[in-house]
Amino acid sequence: MFRFLKIESFKLFYKLKSWLGPMLIMILVLTAFPLSIDISQFDLEKFYFSIIVVSLLMTSFLATEGMFEEDFEDGSLEQEFLVEQDFYKIVLSKIFVYVCFIGVPIAFIGAIFSFANGVAIGSFMNVFFLLSLSNLLLFNLFAFGNALSINKGAMLGVITTLPLALPVIILLGTAIRSIQYEDGFLEISSLMIGVGFLISAIMPLIISTALKTHID
Amino acid sequence: MISAFIHKFSSPKSFVKITKTLYPFLIFIGLSMLIVGWVWGLLFAPQDAVQGNSYRIIFLHVPAVIYAELIYFFMALCALMHLVWRVKLAAYLIKSAAPIGAMITFIGLFSGSVWGIPTWGTWWQWDARITSTLILFIMYLGILTLHGSFSNLEKSDRLMSILVVIGVVNIPIIKKSVDWWSTLHQPASISVSGGSSIDPSMLYPLLISIIGLGFTLISLGILSSRSYILGREKNKKWVSEYV
Amino acid sequence: MFDLAFNNLNEILAMDGHGVYVWSVYSIAISIIVASFLIAKNKIKGVKRKIKIKNAPS
Repeated sequence: MFRFLKIESFKLFYKLKSWLGPMLIMILVLTAFPLSIDISQFDLEKFYFSIIVVSLLMTSFLATEGMFEEDFEDGSLEQEFLVEQDFYKIVLSKIFVYVCFIGVPIAFIGAIFSFANGVAIGSFMNVFFLLSLSNLLLFNLFAFGNALSINKGAMLGVITTLPLALPVIILLGTAIRSIQYEDGFLEISSLMIGVGFLISAIMPLIISTALKTHID
Repeated sequence: MISAFIHKFSSPKSFVKITKTLYPFLIFIGLSMLIVGWVWGLLFAPQDAVQGNSYRIIFLHVPAVIYAELIYFFMALCALMHLVWRVKLAAYLIKSAAPIGAMITFIGLFSGSVWGIPTWGTWWQWDARITSTLILFIMYLGILTLHGSFSNLEKSDRLMSILVVIGVVNIPIIKKSVDWWSTLHQPASISVSGGSSIDPSMLYPLLISIIGLGFTLISLGILSSRSYILGREKNKKWVSEYV
Repeated sequence: MFDLAFNNLNEILAMDGHGVYVWSVYSIAISIIVASFLIAKNKIKGVKRKIKIKNAPS
């Protein structure tokens, strides 16, 4: 397990595009939105969160693009299958590494921007925590999409899994409103933690089934 | 034992032959019931006290959205059969049911939004049912795109089945989450189901058109699955004999 | 229960101003369903023709 984590981190670290790109896009989208619409700071506070949520969605499917593609093309996925007979561990560690190196920084950027747009500094940690959690959910789902579409481009993966990601968006929206209105944050965040554990345990199983279909 | 039973009755050959004999009866029942239901509903059923005559869209809208979901559940059942017992016919049925599902979901969405113009004053509302129907429509199209993008058809059958099974878990979740989300923050908006106590003079044509549309869609499914099965198995011996 | 809800053809078409919605929805839905039946029948024909050409003794 630890071996996989180390390999995947190294692989990701040397692919500058796939971890720096999503962060830059997140920043650019969050900057572009207030520029594109002429509104005062006061109005911005009310719905800036929805922009953060949607750009989180966008960047997470950009970040997971080609997650399994290179491994599939250069044959290392097949080799791994011959050794391990299963992809559960490798998928689990891959998603974990992606969430740690891309998901959490993106969530941090989102939290900073929401703080810059009028959310009280006290709830910074709450927002950061929520965004990271929803990134965990989204990365799992989009990894599934990428496993389905493997070398047919990210668009196919997005089309097939974006409908599955909508409940996550709804959940995140509710959670963020609970921060704004200071009501029921604990319940919703514990629900999200539960769902996160469940999905990150089950999803690698489904993803490895899909990957096996591609191999044989 | 179960798998032996399923494999015996799921050969594409016997499916095509059995459905070919059933097709005339099904299409006759379906179309005649549909005509009876719609003529009754459109011309003979009394006017609704609240919505006036625009409620007559119900005889198209309700059957359509019922089958929009039922077809997906049917596909999920087939997907499970395909994944567990590797029944080829199940995958063929999914592939030929998906366009029909997309079509009927589109009809449901379209009729619903047109119905919304005179009754709600708006053609779209982010209500749980409407949103989940829209997502269902996108899911049908996603399934079709996924199946169309691999050259190895066996592989795309299996991938499609995986996606269908994952998607069926998602339908109730989407519905519940939108419901929960919207009831939390906006006052209960219009419920699509209308009155709870529906008058028999409206209920009977509705039931008849629901059953009629069901038979019509089954016979459409028979036609489209026949062409798909013949196309997929074109190198088999029985197909050349059949043609 | 089986009385006509309308008096004449014009009333049926107008439906108290809601006729536009009702009749447009029904006509579009019916044409979609009919079109899909025709497409399916055509497809069967095309597939059969292809198989026949393939199997024809040359």
